[in-house]
Amino acid sequence: MITRAQIHQQNLNKIFYPDSVAIVGANKVVGTVPCDILMNILKADFNGIVFPVSPKEKFIAGVKAYKYVVDIQDEVDLAILVFPSSVCHMALEQCGQKGIKSAIIISAGFKEVGEAGAVLENQLKEIAVRYDMSFIGPNYLGVINTDPRSKINASFARRMPDEGSIAFLSQSGALCTAVLDYAYAKHIGFSKFISFGNKADISEIDLLYYLKDDPKTKVILIYLEEVTDGLALMKAAREIIAESHKPILVLKAGRTSAGASAAASHTGSLAGSDEICDAAFRQAGIIRCDNIEEMFNKAIAFAYQPIPKNNRVVIITNAGGPGVLTTDAVVKQGLQLAKFSDETTAILKKNLPKTANTHNPVDIIGDARADRYNIAMSAAFKDDNVDGVFVILTPQSMTDIDLIAREVAKVSSHYDKPVFTSFMGEADVSVGVDVLQRNKIPQYFLPESMAVAFSTVYNFSQIANHRAFEPIDLERTARERANRILDSAIGTGQKYLTEDEATQILNIYGLPVVESALAQSAGEAASLAVRLGFPSVMKVMSKDVVHKFDIGGVVLNIQSEQEALNAYEKILRDVRQKLPFIKIDGILVRKMIPTGEEVILGAKRDASFGSVVMFVVWAGFLLKYSRMSHSEFPQSTNRRRNP
Amino acid sequence: MEKTEVRERVKLVVAKVLKMDVSEVSDNANFIFDLGADSMQSLELVAGFEEEFGLEMDEDKALRVQTVEDAVQFIAGYLG
Repeated sequence: MITRAQIHQQNLNKIFYPDSVAIVGANKVVGTVPCDILMNILKADFNGIVFPVSPKEKFIAGVKAYKYVVDIQDEVDLAILVFPSSVCHMALEQCGQKGIKSAIIISAGFKEVGEAGAVLENQLKEIAVRYDMSFIGPNYLGVINTDPRSKINASFARRMPDEGSIAFLSQSGALCTAVLDYAYAKHIGFSKFISFGNKADISEIDLLYYLKDDPKTKVILIYLEEVTDGLALMKAAREIIAESHKPILVLKAGRTSAGASAAASHTGSLAGSDEICDAAFRQAGIIRCDNIEEMFNKAIAFAYQPIPKNNRVVIITNAGGPGVLTTDAVVKQGLQLAKFSDETTAILKKNLPKTANTHNPVDIIGDARADRYNIAMSAAFKDDNVDGVFVILTPQSMTDIDLIAREVAKVSSHYDKPVFTSFMGEADVSVGVDVLQRNKIPQYFLPESMAVAFSTVYNFSQIANHRAFEPIDLERTARERANRILDSAIGTGQKYLTEDEATQILNIYGLPVVESALAQSAGEAASLAVRLGFPSVMKVMSKDVVHKFDIGGVVLNIQSEQEALNAYEKILRDVRQKLPFIKIDGILVRKMIPTGEEVILGAKRDASFGSVVMFVVWAGFLLKYSRMSHSEFPQSTNRRRNP
Repeated sequence: MEKTEVRERVKLVVAKVLKMDVSEVSDNANFIFDLGADSMQSLELVAGFEEEFGLEMDEDKALRVQTVEDAVQFIAGYLG
């Protein structure tokens, strides 16, 4: 049986590449969503037919309107619903009757407004399932496809963005319009621009899979307020990265508890623990960004430039200070300063002024003009020891900013190596910045941002090429053995595992544990201590005792067989004195290990990501979810120190 | 008042507010989906019904009325 996800993949193409579109609920009141969407489609030079559907208008903007969508004689690929929420289900039902398989529902007034809205939203889902339809929304801005094959702006955004290779998905429609404005000013283009709102039917997961195979998309950006199915998101990210090598950059709101509750009121979502989210993204290869600027700084690095083959970079600058700052950033980001070949050094020495620094970072001196940049860049690009070039400019009186920007674009176009720029300043450099942005050269206000962006691209390429995000599957037999211990504990009504049982489970999963054994007599304890080695430790094992030390149930630093005999008797005596009626299972004997780092393992069920494993380096009192994984797919490596 | 009379007067109000011929207003017509009422006109419809029938209606409940027939039932309830 075909799944909803498969139906969505079939229908999504008609959302982005429809031959005909019906705007259901259109009107002619300029400044309203129904009218502006129609106008946007008409203005964007859409390569298809448009059918306004309006209960009372005969024509809108000179285009014949229909009272009902079922009145349209021709085939309709996509319906855009702009009716108020109270009647959207009626409109969608008619779309189903008409045989329309794809819809976008712009209208608000659904899940985000409470229970009554949720009922209406469920009606839409039922209708979509009944007719094998798919819809994006409701409660959102719309979709934009800049591909000349379609050129559809089915949104109420103010403008159609330029064509580009970045796809942007957003749960917030209003953020989309701000991003469009931001990107327009920087000449950043998009392949697809999608707000997905309440994601009642088509989710961000479906959209991600669609974008995986979209030839126009090189980079995928997502703004998320909630992760409803974290495991599905991780699985999708892994597959997309492995199969298409497309990076996924996510801006996830709700980092703080206040932010999480704001997100909940915004989309009716329930934000999960942010630290789990952080760890999950990292594990899936998703690049998490803290803000829009960081997201686009990294996105343009991926979208505009070739992937570096290695991490050796050259800094070319007309200013010493920024060169030093960038050098620091290069080192901090784990990149290498490239060492020039003798030939390159000779070229630079021959053609640059004597005062110039011909070693990396290359300081071509404050009075450098475009010719000097050309010499340094050309030599650097040609050198096999160089994998990427950072160009820094500060605006002196003689600096020909515009020409230098053009030179960067021209020279770099001849080489399959990335170039990043930092034309520092604002007013004077703006002419050069504009040239760079129009020519798809990543330009950053802060020179350090070049290193951050470069390292993000380089690190991602390394991970994507080596499929480092593949989960490690556990052996079925190990799980069965561990389950036997857990089932037995549950069967006897235990609320927690004893140390012995917990150690056995760790051992089953291959985690290194210190060898130990349970003794039932003083003699056995002493023999075990001799076999395991001194110094040793003894601990009382009882299902009735959690804090063994508090009742004298632990003896440390046992140095001999006699001390072992004594320790056994002492533990029994002290414990019996404090808790005379408990059942003692035995005394655990273990070799005492030297002081080291203490770690904590824990588990939790997260609303978004399912079963997660906590691995923490104990630092006094701070606990962090430093790694997570689904219970079936734990990662065996990596750890993080707490701050 | 007979429901038939209520229905005819409701249709007249609807036609007047939505600027259409009364013959276009069918018994089961949905104010938004079939007749194209916008949010402002929905408020005007409530005001029109109150004036026509000399009633003061609960506005929240009145705005939930979506069709001509629902309006007839709703107003008939007020008229007793």
